[in-house]
Amino acid sequence: MNETAIKVNGISKNYGTFRAVDNLTFDVRPGEIFAMLGPNGAGKSTTIRMILDIMKPDTGTIDVLGGPLTEAAKDRIGYLPEERGLYRNVKVIEMMTYLGTLKSLSSQQAKARAMELLEQLNLADRARKKVSELSKGMQQKVQFAVTVMHEPELMIIDEPFSGLDPVNTRVIENLLKDLRSRGTAIVMSTHQMYQVEEMADRLLMINKGQQALYGPVDEVRQRYARHAVIVEGEGDWARLPGVVRVEPYRQGTMLSLSDSVDANDVLGAIASSPAFHISRFELAVPSLNDIFIQVVGDQVPEDFIRSTQEQEAVVYE
Amino acid sequence: MNKLWLVIRREFIINVTKPGFLLSALGVPVLFAAIILFAVLIFSPDDGAALDSLPIGVVDRSGMLDAGATYAERPDLFVEYESEQTARAALDDGALEGYMVLAEDYRATGTVRLFSYEGISDDLLPAIDELLVANLQAEINSAVPPARLVEPAVLTVRFEDTGREISEDNIASLFIVPLLFYIVMLLAIQVAGAYLMSGLVEERANRVIEVLITSMTPMQLLLGKVIGLGLLGLVQLGVWAVIAAIAVSLSDRIAFLSGVIIPVDLLVFAFVYFILGYLLLGSVLIAVGAVVDNEQESRQLAGLVSLPLSIPIYFSFVFISDPNGPVATALSLFPFTAPAAMIIRMGFAPVPEWQIAVSIALLVLSGLFFAWAGARIFRWGLLLYGKSFNLREVISVVRGQPVTATPAPKSQEVTA
Repeated sequence: MNETAIKVNGISKNYGTFRAVDNLTFDVRPGEIFAMLGPNGAGKSTTIRMILDIMKPDTGTIDVLGGPLTEAAKDRIGYLPEERGLYRNVKVIEMMTYLGTLKSLSSQQAKARAMELLEQLNLADRARKKVSELSKGMQQKVQFAVTVMHEPELMIIDEPFSGLDPVNTRVIENLLKDLRSRGTAIVMSTHQMYQVEEMADRLLMINKGQQALYGPVDEVRQRYARHAVIVEGEGDWARLPGVVRVEPYRQGTMLSLSDSVDANDVLGAIASSPAFHISRFELAVPSLNDIFIQVVGDQVPEDFIRSTQEQEAVVYE
Repeated sequence: MNKLWLVIRREFIINVTKPGFLLSALGVPVLFAAIILFAVLIFSPDDGAALDSLPIGVVDRSGMLDAGATYAERPDLFVEYESEQTARAALDDGALEGYMVLAEDYRATGTVRLFSYEGISDDLLPAIDELLVANLQAEINSAVPPARLVEPAVLTVRFEDTGREISEDNIASLFIVPLLFYIVMLLAIQVAGAYLMSGLVEERANRVIEVLITSMTPMQLLLGKVIGLGLLGLVQLGVWAVIAAIAVSLSDRIAFLSGVIIPVDLLVFAFVYFILGYLLLGSVLIAVGAVVDNEQESRQLAGLVSLPLSIPIYFSFVFISDPNGPVATALSLFPFTAPAAMIIRMGFAPVPEWQIAVSIALLVLSGLFFAWAGARIFRWGLLLYGKSFNLREVISVVRGQPVTATPAPKSQEVTA
């Protein structure tokens, strides 16, 4: 197995005078879920297309599965494009078999594998139906099955969860985690921060074509952690030792701490005093969403911030 | 398995089983064949008519039948009556099919009046002709057989440069066969071309194409499609060829097909021009399909692109009256009209070999050029979604100049 699944070294891409991707360097390793984040138009799709050799970078190099992408290596890659669709007027099983054989499976192998996955996704009874007769969510699952049917070593999936209900989202999440545990390198481009927090090992945030954040998810969050705790409950928080500032934060209250105390001291003080009641106590580690907005700031379109906030409200409330 | 082959096979199988294709490629020729078969069954000449029918009365006022010749096939078919009254009585008794009266001035005017109740079968007319000619011949005491008097010239025209012969009997094939070739070839090119383009537009519209080109090279995909649908066109031609072979084998049994010949050289050229014409049109349609992602718009452009192919049909009269004149020559050399024009022209008259060579060479060159340009545009167009068609950019792409190919902003999909 390769040490790195993807090694991107200083790639840039210009569209006329517009610099879509600006000197990006990162790598993706086997057995990890690697999240690619960024606002619309940040250069994620362009980067993915360059990795897949649909486009050539103007400068820089990309190694995929141990070297420049070869035709043979394409058989070891699974790609789920963002705005997806499938052949509409063919039977599910026939389409899957065809796309499987294009990844160098024999038609028997492809068919068997397709059936296996359809069963796993509770779609076995739809195998002989036309794709156009399937609901959107089912089509999405079929497309996901197409992406994994040849058991790729590297998967590049663009917004894998859009349009899926919570049950199917969970099914796909588990499949991805399972693939990761078997050593598959998974590049996931997404807007859904909570999914990144939950699943991704490392992340790359791109803004205006440039690297904004890059590293393990936990590390990135810690880096942006403030010296503060978030509490919910009753009491005069300002009287706690070491608390320098009290401000409302979402449903709770954020207490900024002086350098001389840490969270443990604060928790101890709360616990030992009958004047305080707490129903929630946590470190003020920002969500990726906060970090995202902080990093990208006012360059993000208004409606995007609003929608991610709404999304967060759904997730965290 | 080779991926090129997989694409060829899929494109062929998917399209060959489409109801629309089955209807146009198989349905039309089969219908055509059925009509011929119907004609065979209903209208096949009944040689027994003259032998089975009731006799025909003859009242001879001209005295011409005194020469004594009879209708050789069936001497008792014609029965002479002294007067119209007796003949009429026999007709009313049901003993006669009808009776005819040769006028006194028959020799000068040829006037013969025929009386019957239901009209007499057309098949009896040749028998009447034969009886009269036999008597005329006897009267002038000529050794020339009656058939020569009826048809003094059985004409066969031989074109010395092609060696093809067209006889008077198959004059219909002179006009119908080339036009049929033209229509069939046009149909095959346009159907294959239209499927080629709509398939590409579909794959681009639903993004399957991104999965496809991350499984193979764009050229494998492109070639696979072009070859697969080219085979589809050949199947269409093949079906017609089979029907034509059947028609020819039946030609001596059906009056309107009699003497129809399918010239082998024309057949060969039809296949050659199909392949070249399809390569040219298909390449242009690929380019169109690669930059237009709206089904309706692509259809309109496809119609525009394939329009030149059908131009020669509007000049049919030129091809008939002056097949080697300047208009016909120009149309058969210009690549976009050449396939159709040359086939029609070849059907009507021998075409100088150098012109065939030039026409094929121009087609090959333009076909290769457009295939090359189409492949470039295809590769470039893969990245364009929701972007409107801009001729200037397309030309820049073909010329290999950098083009701002900014992918259109995608719809924002942020849902929990």
